[in-house]
Amino acid sequence: MIVTLNWLKDFIDLDETPEKIAELLTNSGNEVEEIIYQDKYLKNVVVGKILKIEKHPNADKLVVCQVDIGDKVTQIVTAATNVREGHTVPVSLPGANLANGIHIENGKLRGVDSLGMFCSIEELGVTDYDGEANGIMILDDDLKAGTPIAKALMMDDVIFDINVTANRPDCMSVIGIARELSALTGKPIKKQDLSYKTNNEDINKYLAVEVQNKELCPRYMASVVKNIKIEKSPKWLRARLVSVGIKPINNIVDITNYVLMEYGQPMHAFDYDYIDGHKIIVRDGKTGEEIKVLNHNSYSVDERMLCVCDSNKPVVIAGIIGGLNSCVIDDTKTAVLEAASFNRASIRRTSRRIGVRTDSTARFEKGVDVQSPEIGMQRALNLISKLGAGEIVSGVIDSIDQKPTNKDMTFSISKIEKLLGIKVPNEKILSILNNLGIKSTIDGDTIYSNVPVYRGDIENNADIAEEIIRMYGYSVYDSIDQEPLANAKVTVGRYDPMLQTARKLKLQLCDYGYYETVNYSICSEDVKQKLLLKENTKLYNMIKIENPISEDLSCVRTTMANAMFTTIARNLSRKNQNFRLSEVGRVYFPKELPLKELPDEVNMLSFASVNKEDDFFTFKGMIENLLRDYDLDYKLEYSKLPFMHPGISADIIDTKTCEVVGSFGKVHPKVCKNFDMSEYTFYAELNLDIITSLKAKKHEVKMLSKFPAVDRDLAIVCDETVTVEQVLECVKKSCGKLYYSSKVFDIYRSEQLGENKKSIAFSFKLISYDKTLTDEEINQTVNKILKDLKYKLGAVLR
Amino acid sequence: MKEKINEFLTRAKEELKNCNAIKSLNELKVKFLGKQGELTSFLRGMKDVPAEQKPEVGQLINHARQEVETAINDLQAKFEEQELEEKLNKEKIDITEPSKIVEKGEIHPLNKIFDKLIECCVEMGFDVVQGPEIEYDYFNFEALNVPKDHPARDMQDTFFLSDNILMRSQTSSVQARVMQTRKPPFKIVSPGRTYRADSDATHSPVFHQFEGLVIDENISMIDLKSMLTKLLSMLFGENTKIRFRPSYFPFTEPSVEVDATCPNCGGKGCNLCKGTGFMELLGAGMVNPKVLEINGIDSKKYTGFAFGPGVDRLAMVVNKIPDLRMMFENDTKFLEQLK
Repeated sequence: MIVTLNWLKDFIDLDETPEKIAELLTNSGNEVEEIIYQDKYLKNVVVGKILKIEKHPNADKLVVCQVDIGDKVTQIVTAATNVREGHTVPVSLPGANLANGIHIENGKLRGVDSLGMFCSIEELGVTDYDGEANGIMILDDDLKAGTPIAKALMMDDVIFDINVTANRPDCMSVIGIARELSALTGKPIKKQDLSYKTNNEDINKYLAVEVQNKELCPRYMASVVKNIKIEKSPKWLRARLVSVGIKPINNIVDITNYVLMEYGQPMHAFDYDYIDGHKIIVRDGKTGEEIKVLNHNSYSVDERMLCVCDSNKPVVIAGIIGGLNSCVIDDTKTAVLEAASFNRASIRRTSRRIGVRTDSTARFEKGVDVQSPEIGMQRALNLISKLGAGEIVSGVIDSIDQKPTNKDMTFSISKIEKLLGIKVPNEKILSILNNLGIKSTIDGDTIYSNVPVYRGDIENNADIAEEIIRMYGYSVYDSIDQEPLANAKVTVGRYDPMLQTARKLKLQLCDYGYYETVNYSICSEDVKQKLLLKENTKLYNMIKIENPISEDLSCVRTTMANAMFTTIARNLSRKNQNFRLSEVGRVYFPKELPLKELPDEVNMLSFASVNKEDDFFTFKGMIENLLRDYDLDYKLEYSKLPFMHPGISADIIDTKTCEVVGSFGKVHPKVCKNFDMSEYTFYAELNLDIITSLKAKKHEVKMLSKFPAVDRDLAIVCDETVTVEQVLECVKKSCGKLYYSSKVFDIYRSEQLGENKKSIAFSFKLISYDKTLTDEEINQTVNKILKDLKYKLGAVLR
Repeated sequence: MKEKINEFLTRAKEELKNCNAIKSLNELKVKFLGKQGELTSFLRGMKDVPAEQKPEVGQLINHARQEVETAINDLQAKFEEQELEEKLNKEKIDITEPSKIVEKGEIHPLNKIFDKLIECCVEMGFDVVQGPEIEYDYFNFEALNVPKDHPARDMQDTFFLSDNILMRSQTSSVQARVMQTRKPPFKIVSPGRTYRADSDATHSPVFHQFEGLVIDENISMIDLKSMLTKLLSMLFGENTKIRFRPSYFPFTEPSVEVDATCPNCGGKGCNLCKGTGFMELLGAGMVNPKVLEINGIDSKKYTGFAFGPGVDRLAMVVNKIPDLRMMFENDTKFLEQLK
């Protein structure tokens, strides 16, 4: 919301500095984002009269001018070709900093002193000027030499850019901000003269209004202005509009915009002659109807769209944009002025749907109260009268049955104090509320208030508490200190189990050099191809965002892999090498598409490594360490994830539930290529929800044997198809009761061993609980192991 | 014989005195004490010594052996000491060579802040609660006093997945869920990820909030202030002060913006806080009685407060991260700096 200091001064006498005014507004909830001095680029620029123009002695294209700048005559050299003796022009003097960045100083041009510069409209940042605008700006002759240019051009205002919060639509106007300042300074709002002259005709002879949908249009007011003279608005009015960023068009349109800014009431003007049947009907649109509007687009109308119609057709999309054929143009003779209140939700919906947003929409969708059209219309007619823009037909048509009145409400001081935690003296409460225009009295604990119609946001004690404290000042809390939550019941805080699991595992990964990353959980749809996802699988069915900001962020992820691979690729492209990364995040599986209920959200941990030191088995070890503390029996199967190398990857399967707890291994070479990753990339993911649901592993400690343990090593040669698991299982069985542990320490392949052969070297430990083992007993066991390995697995001693 | 022994002792002492290496010491040891050594030859010569002199000569020989042995042992100890010292000197390494252990990684700065916030709040008696990121419009907006087509919806550009399902635009959605399932009094925090259709240098479409909610019988703005002072002091240091500025959120009334002492300058005023000494950090307020009622809590009996800092911003402020995007690019050169 933009308001200006001079405009505010029409309503309230302010002698505070702009900075002070901004501070007052900001500290009471209307944050001033910027103060703009309109004369920022006009300092040291004055009105000058060119007395004499002479040729430059040393240059053909330059002239030397003697210029009256009020207190003296100064000399300026110029190359401008449109200045003549007697012209009145803007003169920038030494010290001026112009809008185009030029800084003016005394200088010499080809050896002749030049003590300033004539200015163009661009150099001064002027956007609306009706005089000579090409080359040097030629000003009105009646301007006095020496007058500051800001004053001469009516550009001496101060502009406030205010962030009005969504609960205060009444502050989206000059009068609204003036009312806030009145409450803040205690200065009264000045009485406004909104009178106007009418003729003696009856408006009802000209026009009829029927509101069919009163819910979406609680109030519709119309008046008729005859003998319109469409022309330029006077300079003061145009200057006002320019100062708040509105382009002046003609007197009628300018008046509607002026009222919008001043009173926050959107107005619309129609050409009376284009209203069929001279009747206005406010109704829902009908399917099949169409309207061509001011932006030159046509829109199909339907019953979801509130329209202002004549007796045949829609002429305005209510509150949003007017029809092209009924708009006020230069030869309009008679105009109808509309001031209405439309349902904000309806306006917002329609505006979003058809993608049209105007100044009116912006105002209506925040909420225009039912009293506002009355004041807006009065001001509009007052301006028409003042400007002599036309002849006002007597009477204003008003659709409302009962005029709105202020609401009587009661509030409780003790409840307010309970919320604020502090006591505000009763007199202070009264002065705050009364200054805000909420006429109030206090009796005991009760505040009796008469709340103005424009304060529709005030509904309960909390709302009044906020009014009191924002005016009383939040600084009251600066010095209050107390034990945190002293007034609350003592509770014992609890961590979230999943977050705790995630944290524990992440920290373990950190110990192994993994850096945690944070990635977006929305992705591009082409992820499906890049990850080789198969159609109609769980991973393929991603939820799509209806209104994405880009294709790259249009789907909700079903896997952690894409984000991880993208991050890896980014790091590689930035020449980072040998790194390990992890991420905790969610993946989202719709129960059905399109979405009807909330999807399953699964918490996952992913980690990956681009590091020569890592391989499938370091990952396997990592997984074993991460899962070590949980009561989980699992087996490994070659992974079914499409983006993993089919032969160098595993799914971790809970043997009890058959659920996939996670997966790990080498990334599929095609996927590595798709992501521009090194082929030597290892990736793992774990389902944190499953892991969180696992019990902690239970430990039962056995007595230690008093007799010495025996360690033996063996190396065998077997077929490639024989797995380490099979070998160790066999060794365990062969050892029988003496078995304590076994471990593979080397696997070796060579030409001598032959194709499809490998050598496995392992150690095992034997322990007896009741005697020291003899060499004979040990040899018996070793022989049994070798015999069993040969018999069961075809393995021979190397 | 006696003279010979004494002469031997004098000579041996002299030779040992001149010995300066372990090798020659070993030679001397053999020469003096070995099986073929001089002392042994004296012992062999005992048989020729007259019987009455034998005790005296024997004593003399023993004395000489003891003296030589002691001298040799002392010298040996001295040489060993010297040798060790030389060895230690030689073995001296460059202790600035790189370490060999696997270099540790680090938790992401964003989650470090989350962890701190959670720890502090659990200590103050808050339960940590999680909620869905894909949420019904109802919990994200309507139950928080933002009906369909309400102007307050303009404050948040929301990603929609269907007519009534969206990517939550605020962790406040968890407030509504908790109020509908728990009986007051309670204190909860909900850390999490949020989404808005907004992307520029200072806005990420995916960002993070830390929602807090307290509902009890006697909660006032003073409780809000003291609680937030403690929380922010934990992040920024003991002397952190906070102040309120009026604001508007549909689910709180009164609503405030909370500024804290600028952690960069400690309140003196610097570039980061634009000279004000304060930094805008979060929104908060007293839970709107309408929100309590919508969610089935008796607003006559209970009051409460809610707060919700943006965690991305906190992480940036605490770690002086110059650009929001760095947080999501995960360049290891960035992550390594936060060890």
